Amino acid sequence: MRLMIAEDSALLRAGLVRLLVDEGHKVTAAVGDADALLAAVAAGPPDVIVVDVRMPPSHTDEGLRAALRLRSEHPQVGVLVLSQYVEPRYAAELLAADTRGVGYLLKDRVGRVEEFLSALERVHGGGTVFDPEVVRRLLARTRHTDDLDLLTDRERIVLTLMAQGCTNAAIAQQLFISRSAVEKHTNAVFDKLRLPRDDSTNRRVLAVLRFLGG
Amino acid sequence: MPVRLAELEQRRVAALLSGGAASPEGIEPRRAVSYLWCRIPVGLLGGGALFLLAAGGWTVASGLSHWLAGHDVDGMAPSWPVAGYLLTAGLLLLFLDLAGLAAVAELERWLICRFLSPDEMTRMRRRIDELAASRSGIVEAVDAERRRIERDLHDGLQQRLIVVAMLLGRARRKNSEELFRQAQTEAEQALEELRQVAWRVYPASLDQLGLREALAVDAERSPIPVHISGDLTQRPTPAIETAAYFAVREALTNSAKHAGATRIEVAMSQDTDVVRVSVRDDGRGGADPAGPGLAGLARRIAALDGRLTVDSPLGGPTQVVAELPCG
Repeated sequence: MRLMIAEDSALLRAGLVRLLVDEGHKVTAAVGDADALLAAVAAGPPDVIVVDVRMPPSHTDEGLRAALRLRSEHPQVGVLVLSQYVEPRYAAELLAADTRGVGYLLKDRVGRVEEFLSALERVHGGGTVFDPEVVRRLLARTRHTDDLDLLTDRERIVLTLMAQGCTNAAIAQQLFISRSAVEKHTNAVFDKLRLPRDDSTNRRVLAVLRFLGG
Repeated sequence: MPVRLAELEQRRVAALLSGGAASPEGIEPRRAVSYLWCRIPVGLLGGGALFLLAAGGWTVASGLSHWLAGHDVDGMAPSWPVAGYLLTAGLLLLFLDLAGLAAVAELERWLICRFLSPDEMTRMRRRIDELAASRSGIVEAVDAERRRIERDLHDGLQQRLIVVAMLLGRARRKNSEELFRQAQTEAEQALEELRQVAWRVYPASLDQLGLREALAVDAERSPIPVHISGDLTQRPTPAIETAAYFAVREALTNSAKHAGATRIEVAMSQDTDVVRVSVRDDGRGGADPAGPGLAGLARRIAALDGRLTVDSPLGGPTQVVAELPCG
């Protein structure tokens, strides 16, 4: 696939380019700040963008702001955001707009090459990728005890995998259960979290956002 | 008007009699008026003493000229006993008059001190303001320092370690000797980076070897030639030593980053109660004392009752001097 990288550390940027080119992808731009990224995308949108949250000049959330802008301007381009820390608020903002082809990973995850590459594939295919660490942290929180306490351990695990962007088929594979069993669990989760049953919302994402939104 | 007069008086006393200097708050009108009233008798006293001096001088001069012209003075012919008697009396009077003048000067100084210098309360208040400002300054400086450490760790070390992990992942996939070797090199680089970050947080050798040695290490690492001269005669307290060290290092970093300098001079010296370190570069100048680095440094030094002066005209050279009390 055609990729763009926005990462301010020259070292890591070069490493990412090498990795992706090695894997047979095409890197059409590798830049060090958000403005350069926006310009590069305007010149020719790639399939997926990998963008670091913290970038110059202020090193706060320029990368995320750029990602959100690109989501609205080029909805067909997948965006994978890399973050130094687990920042649930950032993840929530990303997912709030449109969950197709978007991902939020801890930066360290890049070191696990297979995971990183499969995350890219998922985002490219229009899926949602959520760092397991984000999800683990959110599930560890007891802010939503009222709803969360209702979940059984099994349902909790299913929700965790769901939040990481796994499809029902993938969840079934991981837990060695049938797909219909997974569907039973997911429906139970949706009901316990009191999520609406209609076609206008993606209940899988709402389930995850329920943890994020506070 | 009374205030103006009082100020003039204050300047006169400061210039002639090295009395109390003016205070930054200026003079309260009420106190200026009281001062001027008290000043009248003291002035008359001074005038009287000066008049007596002049009269004495006149008496001596006229008496001598009479005797030399061959006349008597008050019916006394010139003779050694008479001259001796008059000389003794005259010297005694002169001494008394001069003592009186000295006392008047002392009174003047006391009056200025009593009425026009800031009183104890004002001085205390000023000191409390200074302390409050420097205390919050120190807190800000510490926070800024923490932010810098966090950035330091992430921008360098973390990225490098991710690259190591990435290279190992690729090496495993491809089973490539070359990639393993690259990963090892990167890991060694990461270790070096870690050492440098730790040094930037706090140079361990500062405690063991002192200011000069710690600065020598930074001088070696500096991309621009650094020349260190002078030394401290005795080791100051750790707080002073650390502040002096970071002052120099901040200035070195600025010179290397912004000034485009080709040579940096570091000078250290110590008087009885002041440690002085200065950094001078031949760069383009225009350093801003209100910039985050220098301002943080100034706060830190102010908290130790020291002073940071930055002299950096456009076109250079730049000189940063930190003076810290070590009494």
